[in-house]
Amino acid sequence: MVACILIPGFELRAALRDRPRLALRPTALAPLPGTEPLLGPVNAAAEAAGVRPEMRLGEALATCPSLILVERDALLVESSWEGILRRLEDAGFAVEPVEPGCLYFDTRGVERLYGGVAPALRRALAAVGASWDACAGAADRRFAALAAAAVARPGQALVVSDDPQEFLAPLPLTLLPLEGGRREELEHLGVKKIGQLAGLPGAAVAERLGPDGRRAWSLARGEDGTRVRARKPPAEIAERLELPEAVGNELTLRRALNALLDRILARPERGGREIRKVALSARLVGGGSWRRTVTLREPSAERGTLRAALGPKLAELPAPVLSLGVELLALTRSEGRQLALVRPEGDELQTRLQEGLRQVRASAGSGAVATVVEVAPWSRIPEQRSLLVPRD
Amino acid sequence: MVADTRAAFTARPARLNEPRAALVEEGIDGTPRLVNRQPVEVVREEWRVLDRWWTEEPVHRRYFELVLAGGQNAVVFRDEERGGWYSQRGA
Repeated sequence: MVACILIPGFELRAALRDRPRLALRPTALAPLPGTEPLLGPVNAAAEAAGVRPEMRLGEALATCPSLILVERDALLVESSWEGILRRLEDAGFAVEPVEPGCLYFDTRGVERLYGGVAPALRRALAAVGASWDACAGAADRRFAALAAAAVARPGQALVVSDDPQEFLAPLPLTLLPLEGGRREELEHLGVKKIGQLAGLPGAAVAERLGPDGRRAWSLARGEDGTRVRARKPPAEIAERLELPEAVGNELTLRRALNALLDRILARPERGGREIRKVALSARLVGGGSWRRTVTLREPSAERGTLRAALGPKLAELPAPVLSLGVELLALTRSEGRQLALVRPEGDELQTRLQEGLRQVRASAGSGAVATVVEVAPWSRIPEQRSLLVPRD
Repeated sequence: MVADTRAAFTARPARLNEPRAALVEEGIDGTPRLVNRQPVEVVREEWRVLDRWWTEEPVHRRYFELVLAGGQNAVVFRDEERGGWYSQRGA
């Protein structure tokens, strides 16, 4: 069977863990800066005051003036979620994380260990921790397991042993991955339950609602996958540098990154392995955090390559940072790499360069490759010194 | 018809480091206090460029090299001929 563990409003729960007093007051996750001002998850006190997730910020504050907005803390979410995944892996569950707050695992490997599906789910919930109010569901299909977890109460494990389609039939359409507009359209047509959607002809659904509707129809009929792709547990090599004061200067941050790379590459646990995936994280002034992951095209343990991959990310930092961290997420052995016998030079190098430029032009369009031509380098007016001339 | 998003690149020569209009709030002495809504932390340098005064399009700019509260370096100038503030790279 496929099992699903669901923690509703995970980002908000993670942000409130070190501020338990806020749990009793109406609280919601603030919208991300630069995006549409829609609320994230809300807690029970906010829901009781009439605030709903994805409500417009202005409307929410008008509905509940005492609403407290909590900033998203990407680093805390990431570390809390990683902690949960590792506790589950330590308990023997090979998990496939979908997003923070939702994961799947296959129960076949653990049923005998824990004496059945339901005890295995209870063990998984215990591994997650009671304070997260996680729900668990298990069924023959992934979507049915997700739906079972979604309707289960916090701390409850719901096992669907019957036909998944029968279980899904009386459930509301909100469980299906459908856009709000599409769901409303269906509700106006009198289709309010998953079973009613499953009873419609597939071609008619596809014609009316498009590919998303067709997929939702397949899910409603219990026709989705059963396979769980368990993740490989990540490497545990991380370095963090606490800065003496908040730093926003990119040059200083690049120096800090160099120091971190030197330290992390010298760690004996790496054992000569090369880095495939690496994460750069920062704790920001004002309490927030920031994180970016980079997968290298070719694994490398070269400081210069890692610096070239991570350095440009520093320009995306939204605020000065209090600490900077690097984590090696995936390591690989460097055996079997094809090296060039002779370094390309002369005509060969020119041909490769031309080919590279041709590919850039093909993807970015005519005029994307340009040469800087100095026309008046002595000029005191900066924009009159050089021209960008397209190389077409 | 589907728009070609690659048309953003023009195939004509363009000037490098063209000035860009900036939103600057200045203090009593004419030095910038806010640049694009970010407070100015330090004015590192100030200089003037007077050029082409013999042509119909003279250039008279008052440049400031700044460090903003976010830690970014910025160079802005006030166009003393036409008015208005601009940011510029390569100055």
